[in-house]
Amino acid sequence: MSLQRRRKLIPWMFALPGLLWLLLFFAIPLINQAQVSLMSGDPEAGYTLTWAFDTYTNAISDYHEQFLRSFLYAGIATVVDLIIAFPLAYFMAYKAGRWRNLMLLLVVLPFFMSYVLRTVAWQLILADHGWVVERLRDVGLVSADGRVLATGTAVVAGISYNFLPFMVLPLYVALERIDRRFVEAATDLYASRATAFRKVTLPLAIPGIFAGSLLVFIPATGDYINAALLGTSKQYMIGNVVQSKFLTVLDYPTAAALSFILMTVILVGIAIYSRLLGTRTLTEAAV
Amino acid sequence: MTTVTEVDPERFGHELDRFVARQGLSRRRFLGRGAATVLMAGGLAQVLAACGIDGTAARNLADLERQARRVNHPRTELGDWTFSNWPLYIDKSVIKDFNAKYGGHCKYVEEINDNNEFYGKVRQQLAAGVPIGRDIVTLTDYMASRWVRFGYVTPIDKRNVPNGRRLVRNLRSITYDPRRQFTLPWQSGAIGIGYDIKQTGGEVRSLRELFDPRWKGRVTLFSEPYDSAGSVLLMEGVDASRATLDQMLGAIERIGKANDDGQFRRFTGNDYTTDLTKGNIALALAYSGDLVQLQSDNPNMRFAYPEEGAMQFTDNMMMPAKVEHPYAAETMMNYVYEPAVAAKICAYVNYISPVEGIKEILERTDPEIASNELIFPPDDVRAKLHSYPSFTTREEQQMYEAMAQVTGA
Repeated sequence: MSLQRRRKLIPWMFALPGLLWLLLFFAIPLINQAQVSLMSGDPEAGYTLTWAFDTYTNAISDYHEQFLRSFLYAGIATVVDLIIAFPLAYFMAYKAGRWRNLMLLLVVLPFFMSYVLRTVAWQLILADHGWVVERLRDVGLVSADGRVLATGTAVVAGISYNFLPFMVLPLYVALERIDRRFVEAATDLYASRATAFRKVTLPLAIPGIFAGSLLVFIPATGDYINAALLGTSKQYMIGNVVQSKFLTVLDYPTAAALSFILMTVILVGIAIYSRLLGTRTLTEAAV
Repeated sequence: MTTVTEVDPERFGHELDRFVARQGLSRRRFLGRGAATVLMAGGLAQVLAACGIDGTAARNLADLERQARRVNHPRTELGDWTFSNWPLYIDKSVIKDFNAKYGGHCKYVEEINDNNEFYGKVRQQLAAGVPIGRDIVTLTDYMASRWVRFGYVTPIDKRNVPNGRRLVRNLRSITYDPRRQFTLPWQSGAIGIGYDIKQTGGEVRSLRELFDPRWKGRVTLFSEPYDSAGSVLLMEGVDASRATLDQMLGAIERIGKANDDGQFRRFTGNDYTTDLTKGNIALALAYSGDLVQLQSDNPNMRFAYPEEGAMQFTDNMMMPAKVEHPYAAETMMNYVYEPAVAAKICAYVNYISPVEGIKEILERTDPEIASNELIFPPDDVRAKLHSYPSFTTREEQQMYEAMAQVTGA
């Protein structure tokens, strides 16, 4: 083999383990599930590929409510996380000084505990006669016979809490990388601090906002733990339906179809979103 | 249909398993060796030739019966073997004592949290006819029934389980396994009404209370239709253990209607206990054993065997098809049916033991447990306990689908 050809091959050799991994554990299962989604039958007689595209239309008409709810809840949680995370990340990046590492640790700390347990803890925090809800009643945010647990609010709160670190960390990285001399330059040129923030800091933080919101929104849309533990049947999201179809009802085609619909909508959504925020930012944020 | 796009993991697994079987390796060991990639690439072409998910109708009970007649599991060293059970479902010292007495090593795994989830986990291996790496699994009646129906079990060699004769009378025969050739009860429990007497302000006796508008929004039901719809049928005076699919669907519909009116706060699995102890709800459809444990923390927690009767579930020990250590599994089944051992387990798990003659032992060692009606139901209650009805896979799917509509998933 000529030296030149070998040189060309080397990058491929490096990529090989990753490519094989993707092929085996991503591409093949994906193709398989696409196929399953087009099968028909029942668990007793088995499922055969019949190109049953109506599974998709049926899935949408039967479960559009859960789809919309998933996007709504995930969307609200993303915005809530952004509102909470931005000041926090800003503080950590510029003002925390020697507390910075401790704060980073505190942000990541909940991850040392199981996801389900963290969510169950919220069942206790938001219990009808618990301290939190009683105080909310005192200030009139919850009516006397009202509740927080087993409502949409609890589900959104749970999602926001569980995914908060995914928003904080990319934001922190993005903010921390900003060269503060840009801000100094802006103020030297008679920009007020607010204007400097709006025209310099914020635009430079966009890769972090973009990455953070994707990291929160995508898994949140498919989440089913929060709705199962903190919600009721009226708050179930599309993840709950997929889980029930796969494990309980054993209707694999519908479960697969629902997953593909979800994936498609998210991919299209991301495409539009990245257009709006500039395509380069995604890769920038990843570096 | 032989395009590259048609890869089916079930078939893929099947081919892989055949290959593995030829090599004389267990699937897990094989995967553990990390050679999978190379082989998968090699076998891919072959695998791609097929598509579809196999049904289960092919295997039938007659075949199992034939196996059961010939079953012979000779005495061997126990070796390293595996027992899968639900969390907190045994006094762990029983395992230690067993190992000390019989040698070998019992790997006791608390991995079953949900019948359907566990089934999802091992389904492909069972369908492919390969060992699932577990020698005893403990599954609830309806799931045990499915495994028997599908031929996913190994018959028990009763010569190795002489203590099996201590099985209580009312469980010696059950619809899906009339002669207990494949299953042996582990523990039973009743599905009744769990409530907080401080909230209800008085005793609760009837299942009708679950639908009483007084408790609107402060009641939970199980998302499992066998439990919920079964109880509703009992409430309506129907013998739920003989219920037809139509009757179950009717009951589910009535549950759905009450849910639309806001009667039920949630549909739960085991997690109703948090709602109950935190006072979020006044009453719940509940498992008897849970309430024994909740009562010890909070004396206001009560369990009522409904006057209309109660559904009874039994979790059953079974050996999966192609079990690797049948003798070890049977030795354990025999061991836990020794009254002294069964008494120890009962004192720990607080469910209804299927082993005769342990009340006398507990009267001496643990009189409080021996006198607890939730653990030893009085005869008139026992007479009104109903086991789950039996359905085909298709009917079961219809029932689950109807229930999923009600529970919003």
